[in-house]
Amino acid sequence: MNEAIVIENVTKRFGDVVAVNDLSLRVPKGCIYGFLGPNGAGKTTTIRMIMSIFYPDEGTITVLGNPDAERIKDRLGYLPEEKGLYKKMKLGEIVAYFGRLKGMDKQTSKSRAENLLKQYNLGEWIDKKCEALSKGMSQKVQILGTIVHDPELVILDEPFSGLDPVNVEIMREVILQMKREGRTVIFSTHIMEQAEQICDFIFLINKGVKVLDGTLAQVKAGHQRGILLDYDGDLAFLKSNHGIQRINDSGKQAEIFLNEGVDPQQILARLVNNVVIRRFDLREPSLHEIFIRAVGGISDE
Amino acid sequence: MNKTFLVALREYMENIRTKTFWIGIISMPVILVIASIVPILLEKAKDVRKYAVIDESGWLLQAVEEKAAMRDMGKIFAETRHRFRKQDGSLDELAGVLQRVAPVLNDLERPQMEAAARWVYEEAAETAAEEEGGTDLKPLPENTKSKLAAHRTELRQWYSELGAEEANQISSDLDRARFERISLEGPREEIREKYNQMINEEKLFAYFIINENPVETSEGCSYVSNNLTDRDLRQWFGGIASGIIRSQRLDQKNIDSEVARWIQSPLNFKEMKVSKTGDEAEVETKDKIYQMAPVAFVYLLFLSIMIVVSMLLNNTVEEKSNRIIEVLLSSISPIQLMAGKILGIGAMSLTMVGTWVIFFVGIILGLPLMFGAMPDLGLGQIASDPVFLVSFVLYFLLGYLFYSAIIVAIGSVCNSLKEAQNMMTPVTLILIVPIITMMTVAKDPNGLIAKILTYIPPFTPFVMMNRAAGHPHILEYILSTILLGVSTWAAFWAAAKVFRIGVLMTGKPPRPKEILRWLRTSPGSIPVRKES
Repeated sequence: MNEAIVIENVTKRFGDVVAVNDLSLRVPKGCIYGFLGPNGAGKTTTIRMIMSIFYPDEGTITVLGNPDAERIKDRLGYLPEEKGLYKKMKLGEIVAYFGRLKGMDKQTSKSRAENLLKQYNLGEWIDKKCEALSKGMSQKVQILGTIVHDPELVILDEPFSGLDPVNVEIMREVILQMKREGRTVIFSTHIMEQAEQICDFIFLINKGVKVLDGTLAQVKAGHQRGILLDYDGDLAFLKSNHGIQRINDSGKQAEIFLNEGVDPQQILARLVNNVVIRRFDLREPSLHEIFIRAVGGISDE
Repeated sequence: MNKTFLVALREYMENIRTKTFWIGIISMPVILVIASIVPILLEKAKDVRKYAVIDESGWLLQAVEEKAAMRDMGKIFAETRHRFRKQDGSLDELAGVLQRVAPVLNDLERPQMEAAARWVYEEAAETAAEEEGGTDLKPLPENTKSKLAAHRTELRQWYSELGAEEANQISSDLDRARFERISLEGPREEIREKYNQMINEEKLFAYFIINENPVETSEGCSYVSNNLTDRDLRQWFGGIASGIIRSQRLDQKNIDSEVARWIQSPLNFKEMKVSKTGDEAEVETKDKIYQMAPVAFVYLLFLSIMIVVSMLLNNTVEEKSNRIIEVLLSSISPIQLMAGKILGIGAMSLTMVGTWVIFFVGIILGLPLMFGAMPDLGLGQIASDPVFLVSFVLYFLLGYLFYSAIIVAIGSVCNSLKEAQNMMTPVTLILIVPIITMMTVAKDPNGLIAKILTYIPPFTPFVMMNRAAGHPHILEYILSTILLGVSTWAAFWAAAKVFRIGVLMTGKPPRPKEILRWLRTSPGSIPVRKES
């Protein structure tokens, strides 16, 4: 049993809308798996089906070797996209309460909640009510509530949304720590850079259909290489250049894809004359590009 | 520990920590105390009513005043005796003459106070009482009579000079403390005009006109006032005057007062009931309470459901708008969550209602103890009737669960409290029906209406409790309990389905047709809403 989750030919319809269409996916144990896709692609529906909040219309889902996730809920941790806390409960109480709902006993959940809160710099807040928290802090508390019972599999729906860079860093550390401990982490996001930085595996879904899945390397392999450019100036002159296939221009950074047979040196030469170059890197395409191509329906050929 | 129980425990703890809970628990007794004390205080705070009398008969006013003085004197004697016995110095606040008669009064019994007062005003009191016959005046011992007679003039003098304020300090119950007569001298028409003017200036509350021969006819007697709602003065004065006139009339026609009393006495039907063994028995107070107790339980159930309605609605809607629901659903099933909520909030409402009940029972049992008497209210009888008790507990719990399920389902499909309240309207209307029909059912516990309502599940718990005094057949108990049990189960089943879909749904609340469709869908599927 090396798979944490096995999804086989799962379809889910909401009336006439097919939210997830004939999806198959294997999530190996002990990895960080990123669920990517634009808004409304079916990420949350897939996650809810894994958590058995929804049931699939067709197909089967096996979680931790068990076809019925209802029975192993205690071994899962889930942070939904829409997160909330009981405003009137104290931090220590609510984290412990989440632990107890996962079957921990009173004493263990209490001490574990306190340890976690202290560990993540919320020690002074243990006896404060949740209504006093800032958004970032309450999100941290919610994540602690998700992992308080040391789940084998953690599913985080948009865990980074609404966090400042410091907290994003802490969040990332939590995820990596769980991986080190041998747990499986699934998280969904529509920000590709985040996924690219920490994911072992990637699953890309659009309009309910799986676009691609696999390790980061597998996903990138077979895609046309591009030029990563850091620059100062204006790239407008390049856009009319016949050798250029596409430019994803962010203002200070751009990703440039060339038509087949065009020599990157040529482009470099033109760039040198027009803008200040800080980096010129010929490499595999970014996830962002892969995402746009897949979703936008642009083929490599 | 069971997860349902965990949810229930959390709900319970969170709710009893709220202000609402404590305000609720305290407000009931406070309201009760206020409701019973305020009217007394208001009565005390009432202004002294000033009145005048134009007496053309020349004797009736004096007779009335004497009678009123006699009545007051009886109360004053009682108060004097009471203070003398208390020995806390409060006697010293009374007039010297009262202090002197106090030891005499102390030798008498409480019911003799009136006789003593009579003796102060009428030398022939005792003979008069004997003539009237059947009066419950206890005759005074001869030595008491002579002792009182020594103070007679002084007492009369003192009372005639007693002001309203002073009277109020002795006892607010005295007529003298409530009504004060003023009088003007002069020709009849002139005074009358003056009185009218005084009434307009609100210096006078009212005045009476007594005709020349009131024994003959009421013609020409009138009561003039601009306040038509406060009838106390008229009733008080009129009552005493009528009594005097009545005995005058009897005298005039030489009718024995005993005969008059007999003629006037109504035909009295004694209330009896047939006991289980077929014997006849007298109806006692406790029987009446036995009949009323069910009504109290109906109210109690109604009240606790109303409390739960607002708490459950609030709670479910808040949890939904809080977005915490999905976190919870990742740990527990919707059914567990729903059941936990109903249990927790139900336990809280039972705590509240239970506290009230303990308070009421404490008052009912405690007050008589304070006054030394201990009336048998038949509470023990109610408690020892197993059918009564078991059925009440069952109906109460089933009724509570039935409505809770419906309320939770409603709360789960709403996104705001306002929406939820709108959707609650039909439920509230249904809840009112048992309250409206309560008296009808209580009057005819085994009548057609009562029987029909019994088998409509939302009404069953109320109506069956209401009917308890009529001892419905045991089969009715069994049938209605089974029906209610099945309905409650069905309500839970339906609520679970609606809850499961509703809690994760956003947007406007579904229409009844949509909800019916939800009931038919398989678990875990989310039906799509057709936007109109």
